[in-house]
Amino acid sequence: MEGIVAIWQRDVIKFFRDRARLVGSFAMPFMFLILFGSGMSGAISSMMGGAKAGPLANFDFVQFMFPGIIGMTVFNTAIFSALSVVQDKEFGYMREILVSPISRVSIAVGKVLGGSTVAVFQGLMMLIFVPFIGVSISVLMILKLIPIMFLVAFALSSIGLIIASSLKTAQGFQMVIQVLVFPMLFLSGALFPLSGMPVWMNFLVKINPLTYSVDMFKKVILQPEKMEPALRKAMGLDLTVFNHLVTFSNEILGVALLGIVFVILATIRFARAEA
Amino acid sequence: MSNIIEVSGLKKFYKDFEAVKGLDLKVKEGEIFGFLGPNGAGKSTTINMLSTITKPSEGSAKINGYDNVHEKNKVRASIGLIFQEPTLDEKLTANENLMLHCKLYGVEKEIREERIKEVLQIVDLTDKRSNIVETFSGGMKRRLEIARGLLHYPKVLFLDEPTVGLDPQTRTHVWEYILKLKEKAGITIFMTTHYMDEAEICDRVAVMDHGELIALDTPEQLKSQVGGDIIEVSTEDNSTAKLLIEENYQTEVTEIENAHLSFRVDKGSEFLVDFIKQFDIPIKSVNLRKPTLNDVFLHLTGREIRDETVTQKDISKKRMRRRMH
Repeated sequence: MEGIVAIWQRDVIKFFRDRARLVGSFAMPFMFLILFGSGMSGAISSMMGGAKAGPLANFDFVQFMFPGIIGMTVFNTAIFSALSVVQDKEFGYMREILVSPISRVSIAVGKVLGGSTVAVFQGLMMLIFVPFIGVSISVLMILKLIPIMFLVAFALSSIGLIIASSLKTAQGFQMVIQVLVFPMLFLSGALFPLSGMPVWMNFLVKINPLTYSVDMFKKVILQPEKMEPALRKAMGLDLTVFNHLVTFSNEILGVALLGIVFVILATIRFARAEA
Repeated sequence: MSNIIEVSGLKKFYKDFEAVKGLDLKVKEGEIFGFLGPNGAGKSTTINMLSTITKPSEGSAKINGYDNVHEKNKVRASIGLIFQEPTLDEKLTANENLMLHCKLYGVEKEIREERIKEVLQIVDLTDKRSNIVETFSGGMKRRLEIARGLLHYPKVLFLDEPTVGLDPQTRTHVWEYILKLKEKAGITIFMTTHYMDEAEICDRVAVMDHGELIALDTPEQLKSQVGGDIIEVSTEDNSTAKLLIEENYQTEVTEIENAHLSFRVDKGSEFLVDFIKQFDIPIKSVNLRKPTLNDVFLHLTGREIRDETVTQKDISKKRMRRRMH
């Protein structure tokens, strides 16, 4: 148990010590939110027929994107956190860990928890953008956000560890993660509304776990239950699977289950690779 | 004294390459045990097997009474390892590195502070405790690693080339620490080294070549195996001189560094007088000395240990092995 804490603590300490990484982590979300978001915002509202009145007049693309950007930050940080496993292998520290009497399971779990914690902090830091984009966030929302960020991060960190266990170089790891993350991100509804998609794409979106993760963030931040049905539809917030409207608790359960499955796979994979 | 390390029939093969060919070895508690051999002799593979990093293909090893394959975690708790390559986390402070180690090895909370102070004092790094390791010099990092290896009071400390890449002064320091430690904690030290003067400190020395143990004894005994005196001579024409000496004196001549020839004779000082008078080829320099462990090595393997030139074959072998890990 103490071993898990030690591994976890190391990653957390290193996260807060690395100033460049802290500052750099704002770059991508900032670009997406401000440059891409503001640009698209105008285009989208003119496509909506320049609705000056009616429910669609309230469609603010930047606000729509915001939960997605938080999601994106959490995914990226979590999955990339496993990079430290590859780096530890490259720089030798992994040997120090591997010859210690703590079990491989503790190492794997400690790493996943460390990555998840860092991802939650990183996600929370994105709330800095709140005053500039006109969404209102309450303390209650933040308290709801933290556990769901953690659940999502836990699943993603585990996926990262599965990949990191099989790879020996940091470059290799980055390549694989890029190839994996981008399609998952584009097919998750983080960057554009999930409405009026072709059938094949709809299928991919529905089997993508990030879709439900992003949707949880949207449900907390955008509060679709207070929206007019037409606006909700335009934002693609009525997520259905086999005509069943996916609820918030469905999503929590699903993501938590996925997290458990992936962390078990990651532990097995890691223990095998480092036997 | 009881045996702290017991190895029998230990083997390791990688596909068709046999790195360690059946090793039998016993190390007593409290001993400083030296493990010598050229690159690629199987030293590191052996250390890796003893320290549970690599699984042996055949045979068994016991450390502190625990089996290296079936009781890995108990073996791991009994040993300290100082690797050839640094394994510190350079982004953390010395204190954080040590604290992490305490946690990984389950050193009890109440005694951590005291232990850290103690080991830092042994290696003279007390005032650097809260500095980031990145800012340390090579020697300081090495010392910190040694300190870390001692934190959990291991029964056996494995040192893989503990002083490689250090300047002579730091090397001496590191050795002082290791000896201090042996006296203080009574731990067993199992080490590999390239430096023959360091091997002289050992209670016993094992020489390994091509995956096999070719000698195992005290440094004195090993040196007396070579016996007599060592003559080192440089001449105008070394290749002819070599043939001539071999023919006239029935001794084996080896070419060593700086175009010198080296050979062994029984009574060095008397031999030298006649030799210089009688030898036909002009002599540039001559030197007489007592045998060292290096001569033992030369005698046993026909090669010098310290200027081991790594051949292309060795390098590719090493790479191959790394890939298979």
